[in-house]
Amino acid sequence: MSRILPAVGARNLRFPWVLLALAIAAAIAIVLGSQWYRERESRQTSTAERRLLEARGRVEAARRERDSLQESADVFRTLVERGLLLGEHRLDLVEMVNTLRARHQLFSLDYEIAPQRALQLPGGRVYPSLDVLASRVKVKLRALHEGDVLAFVQELTQSRQGFYPLDRCLLRRVDSAGEALQPHVEAECSFEWITLKDKNANRAG
Amino acid sequence: MRHFLYLTNSRLVSMITQGKRIAARREFAVSGMGASELDRYLASYVDAPTYIFTDLSEEDFRLDTIPHVGSRDREAIVARKLGQIFRSSPYRYAAMQGREPEGRRDDRVIYTAITNPELLRPWVDAIERHAIPLVGIYSAAVFSAVLLEELDLVFANTLLVTFTPGEAMRQTYFKDGEIKFSRLTPVDLEEGQTLGMMMAEETTRTWQYLDSLRHFAGDDRLEVCVLVHPNDRAAVQPELRDFAQIQYRLVDMEQASTKLGLKPAPLDSTAEEVLVHLFLMRPSGNHFASAELRRFASLRRARLALNQVSIAILVAGVAWGGYNIFRALQGNQAEQELVRDIARLDREYDEITRALPSFGVGGATMRDVVAFYNASIRSFPSMPEFVVPISHALQGHPDIQLSQLAWQATDDPKATPTMTPGARTASPVTAVRKGDAPPPPPPPSDGNNPPYAGGKFEVALLEASVRVGANDYRGALDRVQKLSEAIAHLPGYRCEVVESPLDVSTSIAIQGKHSSADPSMLEARFVLRVMRERTPA
Repeated sequence: MSRILPAVGARNLRFPWVLLALAIAAAIAIVLGSQWYRERESRQTSTAERRLLEARGRVEAARRERDSLQESADVFRTLVERGLLLGEHRLDLVEMVNTLRARHQLFSLDYEIAPQRALQLPGGRVYPSLDVLASRVKVKLRALHEGDVLAFVQELTQSRQGFYPLDRCLLRRVDSAGEALQPHVEAECSFEWITLKDKNANRAG
Repeated sequence: MRHFLYLTNSRLVSMITQGKRIAARREFAVSGMGASELDRYLASYVDAPTYIFTDLSEEDFRLDTIPHVGSRDREAIVARKLGQIFRSSPYRYAAMQGREPEGRRDDRVIYTAITNPELLRPWVDAIERHAIPLVGIYSAAVFSAVLLEELDLVFANTLLVTFTPGEAMRQTYFKDGEIKFSRLTPVDLEEGQTLGMMMAEETTRTWQYLDSLRHFAGDDRLEVCVLVHPNDRAAVQPELRDFAQIQYRLVDMEQASTKLGLKPAPLDSTAEEVLVHLFLMRPSGNHFASAELRRFASLRRARLALNQVSIAILVAGVAWGGYNIFRALQGNQAEQELVRDIARLDREYDEITRALPSFGVGGATMRDVVAFYNASIRSFPSMPEFVVPISHALQGHPDIQLSQLAWQATDDPKATPTMTPGARTASPVTAVRKGDAPPPPPPPSDGNNPPYAGGKFEVALLEASVRVGANDYRGALDRVQKLSEAIAHLPGYRCEVVESPLDVSTSIAIQGKHSSADPSMLEARFVLRVMRERTPA
């Protein structure tokens, strides 16, 4: 080859060799560049597909939640209005008890509100989004008639502000000397003052 | 573009071809200023691959046989023989022509060479000076075998007669399509001699020569094929008379050109354009040019190959890149659609969440609140609702007076609310348990953190007394039993007597203390346990 193609020939081929090298480099650059672009697009498409799946899941969950919440919205509205999520306002209870005492003409009314605590629910049940809190309230009262006691209890438990499930009550007839305006009945009752706290609100705070 | 140079003893014809067509033609004189004119002319075609056809009288042909050996050895033998036969000429060529039918079946070879290399020197030097890519130097006689094949003129013994530029006539003898001999005769007509006469004399002379070399058997006939232009046909045909050993076939130049696709047909009887056209159709290998003479063509071929490889690589890269871009754009399009879908879903999600009844809390919180309410509060029992039916039942028993009621909401059906027993009135007859009576249970303690009551059951203890006549224990028991049954008949209620006015079971003792001071009426104490189970909502 070298005999047939002398040095001058090699010089003549310099440009084609350079051109070949440039073509190889350009081809590699084009292929790598386009491959990179394609892979980037592929990755973006995969990401978009994943996001689409997530969005679909989100929408499905929202639809389910909407259907679920639609049913309980009215109940929830009532509960919110009754202050289930508002926390304890003890002064309100004090005022309400005093109002009820006057309304039902109780001779005496003693009460004790224990410190608020997390309420243990039956079966150890917990709610992921809620803290169930309660304050144990004990009342001791004396009345002219057991009907006054029952009316007091009834109005307390059916109060439109707060939830007070009464779970114990002892009614006892009181001996009196026959005077009409003496207490004839005394009662000792206990109930829970239940409030709920949104865990998410705690986290947010 | 290719450049063909057709060299005869007196003329050199240059033909420039474009594709399969002869685009330009120019003739140069071999002597005088011809070489310098060609030198200037070549300057315009330095890049065109150039082919030289020789049609010279100084081309010699030798037939030979060599032992049938391997290709390397054969090449060595042929090269050696060529060197021996045509020692003075670098323009030499050997063509293998098959094998002998008999004996050792040696290989048949024809050697040919331009015996006077000086005839080529000025032209080759001009080409070298311009560094023109010389592809090859070809023997017109050797190549003319292709003409016979293309014109279907292959006979057992064929003599092809062609005319060359510069007034010469070439006779080439082919035996079974293989060239055996060729010679060039100047057309130098004597007075009164026609071209046909001269042709008849020359072909007859050639037949005699070939016959002397024992190319013919007894009944062989030489087919003399004359390529002649219609303009010369009249001068040729009358003189060519067939006889037993020679038959003439006049091949019309225009018809042959039409058959070969040569347009336009040559204007005279010279065959150079036909041969060049045939070469374009069926290229042949180099005959006479050495590798050194062909180096610029080799360089050009290498350059072209490199350029083609470069272009191929670039095209492949661009194609690959284009494919990648195409797929990427497809992916991009798909991604755009996905993004649109995502945006649509996001809008839908926003609309749904906006429409959700949130009340300032999350959906999970709302669900939990409602679930807690339904499970723990909504159906929680109410003591007044429990007591009122019992109170109605008591109204039917005016001789029974309630003294205590202990009520409890619980999930334990066996739970019993605590109660401090009231004061007992003296009774003449009492039940006495053996040993010490068990201490009353301690008062209930809620503890610091009592669990939520649940309220599946409501349990109550009712302490009361029944007023009957003195010592009417039977009546007291009966009334208490009736009250218990009346309560038990209330929907959802169960009732049992926990403490009877008088325990008459046989397992315990009874004491009686009667005197004249006994009261006229008896108030007997008893305790009932009442339970109600919450019905599912």
